[in-house]
Amino acid sequence: MSDYNSTKLSMGRSQVGRAGFLNGILPAIFLAVAVTAVPMAAAQETIRIGAPLALTGGLADEGMKQQLVYGMWAEKVNAAGGIEVNGTSYQVEIVEYDYQSDGPRAGQLAERLATRDRVHVIMAPFGSGHTVITGTVGERYRVPTIACVASSESVFSNNNPYLFGTLSPNANMTEVMARYLKEQYPDLNSVAILGRDDVFPKSMAEATATAAEQAGLEVVYRELYSVGTMDHSSSLTSIRRASPDWIYVTGYTQDLILARRQMADLGVTAPIITMVTGPAYEEFTEGLGSLAENVTSSSWWHHSTTYEGYGIWPTTADFYADFLKASGGSNPDYIHGSCAGSLAMLEEVLPRAGSLDGEAIRDALAATDIMTFYGSIRFGENGMNEARDLPIIQVQNGEIVVLAPDSIKSGDLELISR
Amino acid sequence: MDIGQILVNGLVLGALYACLAVGFSLVWGVLNVINMLHGSFIVLGGYLTFFAWHSFGIHPLVSLPFVALLLFGIGYLVQYLFVNKVVTAPVLTTLTLTFGLDMILYNIMTVFFSATPRRVTLDLGTLSFFGITMPVDRLFGMALALALTGLLYYVMRKSRIGRAIVAVRMDRAAATLMGIRVNHIYAITFGVGALMAGAAGAIFAMVFPITTNLTGMYIGKAFVVCVIGGLGSVPGALVGGLALGLIESISGHFFGPQHSLTVGFLVMLFILLVKPTGLVGKRGYE
Repeated sequence: MSDYNSTKLSMGRSQVGRAGFLNGILPAIFLAVAVTAVPMAAAQETIRIGAPLALTGGLADEGMKQQLVYGMWAEKVNAAGGIEVNGTSYQVEIVEYDYQSDGPRAGQLAERLATRDRVHVIMAPFGSGHTVITGTVGERYRVPTIACVASSESVFSNNNPYLFGTLSPNANMTEVMARYLKEQYPDLNSVAILGRDDVFPKSMAEATATAAEQAGLEVVYRELYSVGTMDHSSSLTSIRRASPDWIYVTGYTQDLILARRQMADLGVTAPIITMVTGPAYEEFTEGLGSLAENVTSSSWWHHSTTYEGYGIWPTTADFYADFLKASGGSNPDYIHGSCAGSLAMLEEVLPRAGSLDGEAIRDALAATDIMTFYGSIRFGENGMNEARDLPIIQVQNGEIVVLAPDSIKSGDLELISR
Repeated sequence: MDIGQILVNGLVLGALYACLAVGFSLVWGVLNVINMLHGSFIVLGGYLTFFAWHSFGIHPLVSLPFVALLLFGIGYLVQYLFVNKVVTAPVLTTLTLTFGLDMILYNIMTVFFSATPRRVTLDLGTLSFFGITMPVDRLFGMALALALTGLLYYVMRKSRIGRAIVAVRMDRAAATLMGIRVNHIYAITFGVGALMAGAAGAIFAMVFPITTNLTGMYIGKAFVVCVIGGLGSVPGALVGGLALGLIESISGHFFGPQHSLTVGFLVMLFILLVKPTGLVGKRGYE
C-alpha cells in the first residue's frame, strides 16, 4: 500500500484537507500564486477529474476505497498514453480533497474544484446525501458529476442534467431477488423484513416489501430500527414467533453483523437469510466467520462476475488482478467496482465528446451505452444507470458465489437448515 | 414467554449501558466536565482488546485490566495536561476542548485501525431457561459490567482516593482546605472515567461490533443514562442504565424497534421536567 501511495503522489495530484494551519492563509496564498503562474495552455494538457473524498471522519473507509481506484485508474491510463480527445492526447489528473465526511464541506470543495481547479468532471463522494450536495454544485458550474456510490432514486429526481449515476435503482435489486428466490424455492411463502431507518437501507426494505407482495409472498413482519440501535433482540423475538421462510435485513455492516450474531444467539433462522449489502463487503464475512455461511445479498457488482467491455480493464478479471496488487491482497467490493467502472466509462465518453467543454461531456455522457468490466452503463432520462439484472450473491464455504443472472452465474442457491 | 425474553434482554443491555455511562457520569458530576472523549475512549478500549485477541491471541479477560489501566494513564494525562488548564472555566469551554481532542483521537483511530467493524468472537454458546434464550457472552458481559460498576462503587466509598473524589465533588473549596490536592484528584477522576470507558470497550468488543462510527452513539447513550439515573454517582449510572435498557427493550417490542430510541429520549425529557436530579441523583448535581 505504501509503495502504491508514493507512486500516486508523484502524479501531481492536489491533496488538501487537514484542519488547522494547513488550511489557513498560507496555502491560499501559495495556491493563488500557483494558479496565476501556470499558463493556461499548460493547464489544459491534462484532463482533471475532481474528487471530494471522505478520507477522515465516519465515511473514511468508503472514501479511501474511492481514492484507491481513482489512483489505480489514473496511473494505468497515463502509463498507456492518456486519453485522446479531438486529436490531442491528454494525461489524466485526479484533483482530490478530504471533505472530512462533512456534507457542507463537500459542497465547498466541489465549488473549489469547479471554480479554482477548473476540473472537467467531478466524481461525487460516497452516499446519496453528499452526492446531492456535490451534484448541485456541478450543475451550477456546468461540470458533469458522476455519482458512483449513490443508489437512491430521489438523488436523481431533481432533473439535474449534469448528474449521472452508475448504480442501478434499488427497486431493480429487490424485484429480481424476490422473483429469483421464488423460482428457486417454490415453498417460499412468507418474508420478515427488518430495515435500518436510514436513506438507502430504508428504501431497500420498502422496495423489498413491495417486490415480495408482487411475487405472491406474505410479509409477516415489517419494521424499521433506529440508527444507533445496539440490540435487535425485540425484533428478532417477534420474527422468531412469525417463523418466516425468508428473513431480509438491511443496514450497514456493523448492524448486520450484530443482527446475524443475535439471530444465531436467539435461535432465529429461516431457509433464506438475506442481508443487504453485507456479503458484498469482505468485512462482513470476516466479522461473522461461519455465521455468514449461506447468507444471500444483492449487489451492484462483485469481483467474481465475468463482464467484458471498454476501458483500461477489458475484463473483470483484469481489474481484479490489478486491484489485488494495489490493495495488498484484499478483495474489491461494489464501491471499488462502480467507481473504477465510471472512470473506465470516461475513456470512451471523452473521445466521443470531442471536447473538454462541460456541455459536450454532458451530452456524450447522456448518450452513453457501453459495456465495461463493471457491467453495462446506459443512463436513463433521470441520469441514473438503467435497470439491469444485478448480481444475486451468496456466501458458500466462505467464498462469494454469484447465483444470478444466468450469464454470470457461478453456483446454485443453498438453503439454510432450520 | 416473549415478555420474559424481553425483560432479560433489557436487563442485560441495561447493565452494559451502566458500564458505558458510569465513567462519563463520574467526570461530569465531579469535574463538571462533559467529556466528549468518552465515546472514543470506549472504542479505543474495544480496538485494543480486539487487536490483542486477534493479533496475539490474548483473551479479552486477560487484556481487559491492561487496557483499562492504559486508558487510565491516557485519561490522567489528558486531564493533567489539557483539561486542568480550563477546568474552572464555563462548561462550554471544557466541552469544546474535549470535543476537539475527541476529533483528533477519532481520526487517529480511523487512520490506524480503519472504521471497519470488528468484534471478538468467543462463541460461548447460549443458555436456555424457562423458554428464555440468552447468549453466554452477553450474560458474561453483563456480569463483568456489574462487577466493575460494583468495584468502582466500593472504591468510591471505602478508599482514600474514593473519599477524596467524593469530597471534591461535594465542596471543592472545603476539600482544598482539608489538604486534598484538587488538580491531582481531578486528573485521577478523569483517569477513572477513562478506565471505565476502556473496560466498557473491552466488554463491548465481546458483544457488539466495534467501529469508530459508534463514538457519537455511545456519548448519546451516556447522556440519557446520566439524566435518567442522576449525575455523579455509581448507583445513578446503574439505575439509569438498567432503566434505559428496559425502556428500549419493552418499547421496541410494543411500539416497534424504530421507536425504541425515541421512547428512551421521551422518558429522559419527562424525568428532566419532573425530577431534574434523576431517579437517584442528589440535589445540586442536576
